[in-house]
Amino acid sequence: MAFLEQHIHDEPKTFISKYVISYDHKVIGKQFLWYGIFWLLVGGLMAMLIRWTLAYPGVPFPLIGSLLFPHTGGVVPPDTYAMLFTMHGTIMIFFAITPILIGAFGNFCIPLMIGARDMIFPTLNMLSFWFSMASGALLLISLCLPLGAAAGGWTSYPTLSTTLGSPGAGQTLWLLSLFLFGASSTMGAVNYITTVITLRAPGMDYFKMPLTIWGIWLTSILNAIFVPVLGAGLILLTFDRVFGTTFFLAGAAATSGKGDPVLFQHVFWIFGHPEVYILILPAWGIVSDLLSFFSRKPAFGYKMTALSLTAITILSTVVYGHHMYTTQMSPLLTQSFMTLTMLISMPSAVFFANWLGTLWKGSIRFTSPMLFSLGVVFVFGLGGLTGLYLASTSIDLYLHDTYFVVGHFHYTMAASVLLGGFAGTYFWFPKMFGRMMDEKLAKIHFWTTMIPLNGIFTGMMMMGWAGMHRRLYNPFIYEFTQNLMPLNKFVTYCAIAMGFAQFTFLYNFFKTIFGKNIPQASSNPWDVGTLEWTIPSPAPHYNFKEIPHVKCGPHELGNPNLTDGKDFQYQTEELVKA
Amino acid sequence: MSISFSERLLGLISNAYEISAKSVSFWESFQPPEDISSNGHLIEWLFYYTTYVNLFWFALVVIGLFGFSFLYSQKRHKKPVYTHGNEKKHLFITAFIAVGVFLSVDLVITKVSSRDMKESFWNFDDSGDTVKVQVLAQQWAWNFRYAGTDGEFNTADDVVTLNNLRVPMGKKIFLQMTSKDVIHAFYLPNARIKADAIPGRFSKLWFDANKAGEYEIACAEMCGTHHYLMKAQLTVMTQEDFASWVNESQSMAIATNDTEDVNLRWGWKWGSK
Repeated sequence: MAFLEQHIHDEPKTFISKYVISYDHKVIGKQFLWYGIFWLLVGGLMAMLIRWTLAYPGVPFPLIGSLLFPHTGGVVPPDTYAMLFTMHGTIMIFFAITPILIGAFGNFCIPLMIGARDMIFPTLNMLSFWFSMASGALLLISLCLPLGAAAGGWTSYPTLSTTLGSPGAGQTLWLLSLFLFGASSTMGAVNYITTVITLRAPGMDYFKMPLTIWGIWLTSILNAIFVPVLGAGLILLTFDRVFGTTFFLAGAAATSGKGDPVLFQHVFWIFGHPEVYILILPAWGIVSDLLSFFSRKPAFGYKMTALSLTAITILSTVVYGHHMYTTQMSPLLTQSFMTLTMLISMPSAVFFANWLGTLWKGSIRFTSPMLFSLGVVFVFGLGGLTGLYLASTSIDLYLHDTYFVVGHFHYTMAASVLLGGFAGTYFWFPKMFGRMMDEKLAKIHFWTTMIPLNGIFTGMMMMGWAGMHRRLYNPFIYEFTQNLMPLNKFVTYCAIAMGFAQFTFLYNFFKTIFGKNIPQASSNPWDVGTLEWTIPSPAPHYNFKEIPHVKCGPHELGNPNLTDGKDFQYQTEELVKA
Repeated sequence: MSISFSERLLGLISNAYEISAKSVSFWESFQPPEDISSNGHLIEWLFYYTTYVNLFWFALVVIGLFGFSFLYSQKRHKKPVYTHGNEKKHLFITAFIAVGVFLSVDLVITKVSSRDMKESFWNFDDSGDTVKVQVLAQQWAWNFRYAGTDGEFNTADDVVTLNNLRVPMGKKIFLQMTSKDVIHAFYLPNARIKADAIPGRFSKLWFDANKAGEYEIACAEMCGTHHYLMKAQLTVMTQEDFASWVNESQSMAIATNDTEDVNLRWGWKWGSK
């Protein structure tokens, strides 16, 4: 394809055009980052309330409990508890992780790393952010309704999520909010896919792109295909709630006609399983790059890693049925889904081997982005392997809807993605804001997050194997969970510790952006060769004055033939050969 | 508030300690509830198999992660080896690992799961001397229905109970279930089984119980505010006790059930779709 070069536009002058209605991918990326961090705090506070209730049912939440729930003296009431875990899931997936990993890094990194001046559709990009703002606003409003926000679980299975089980307007607002979110995501996805296809700098072949871009690009493809499926399900459910249709109603509740509640589960998980990979692929990409950068050697088996990510992307579209074993699909379907799910372990094994191969005989610098990346390898190892139990149709008979599932998906979606997000934030912060975050605080942040994090999610999996099921306001009314009281308390302490550890990050983040006498970052503080590090920090408005010509791969580090004193090559330089 | 937060926290911590001190050992407290069925061990076997294989592969990851971090840190290993990992031997090692994972994990789990499901958990042959129970889930209770002596469901001699499933020891119990309102899930941890009860559909489940006693049935699918209270009791009785309980309940049912009451007739023909 002929190469497409965007023009340099004048820099916007007013506050509004510069920071609010911005068309600049870098500003939009930062907007998504702020937005995601805000929701991360909200979702995190909800997690604390949930954990407190599980460890101390009926005991007032300390410090702010009586402010939040005055009529119960600070105890989380059961209906609020259901609302909390519903909102915690929704917020963390759609309003925290998606904006940070895809919105922030996708926007910020794609043009800079492929050598473009902006996204291909800047207006769509701006709209994408403001649609997600609107969707966030709807969700916030739903929290203030008299009957409360949605409380049917983040999966919102009908018929519980129809007016039969959730009479309030909260569930309807939840549906509309997610629909807007879907629109925003789809706009972003279309933009990312097209940008990567059309705006790569001359010489930037697909197999010269950084793996971060591979991850985000594959994610965008999944997003563009499957988020509209969720949208369809949401619309049908909204019709059932508002206009009296019966797509998902059956049994006594279906007074006219008969639908099928399981249909919604199919529609939801056709989207929902790719969604898991939508969240994790950018983190895998970032980690694959960072491991190479800080081991000071090329990514081991770069092409194999890119292809195994692609293989997982394809496989992820045909495994969704493993979320629905207990609905008793036909044995043929169930076994097919199990077999296909198991196959994911092979490409996963390939990129795990390549990650370790990258570390092998490197010269590892333990900077904060590297620590977080190594953390991802550890927690995703655990998260991925525990998926094997749940993919098995027979073990799932017992473990379905237990805390084992909760532990497993938090390891993959929360722990890995969050650590990957932190790795990316610490790594690109200098290019975003032109300053370096405090390394010492960042390392404290890593260890104080990593240790309790494993306590929480390993603890959850142990509870699950011991039989404790999910979404219980008070698990201890069952005799078989009585033994798990101390473990539940331990997990709660770990959660509180991890929650407080995040203040280290917030302090570091805000201090570095707004503080005085913070040293400016150099244009290439990490000594790596991808395109974003060839330009000043923070990146100027037009990114590249001259569109770069790419001549070598993204991970040319430690080449013994280099003679000019540095141990890496920029992608704009011809590969040095002996 | 008269007691301070720290005092309360201290009290709670000592409380937690007492509970852990008086009950089972540390290791036992994480074990699943007692297995009373003849199939539960299949799930445990596969769980432990998966655990051992996982430990093996995860140990490799951990050895690589920590070992390489130690050996090849900047301090110890100044000069990185320049390789793209795309030589034949590298590809061979990677492929070897992937095939190893396939053979040790994928193949075994898929095979054993399929066999267990086909031969045991999905083997719904309810002929012979079995007990058939219809289950109607509702917010937030479990209704159970026994056919009575005529063997027909939805007749006047049906025995209907609330949150109380009684079964004889050593016989196969077949459940057909559906839900009145929202989706619930019948979860019997002591037999390691679970199935959704879905409005407009029938799902099925079977188990047997080899040990008399009382056990808990829980709802595992989020079904509303009081989901956590949706608990039923499973009573496993000797076959004689069960027979006399059925007889007694049946004559009571015939004597007291109002045959005109449509609400009592929620049952269905066994095996209908």
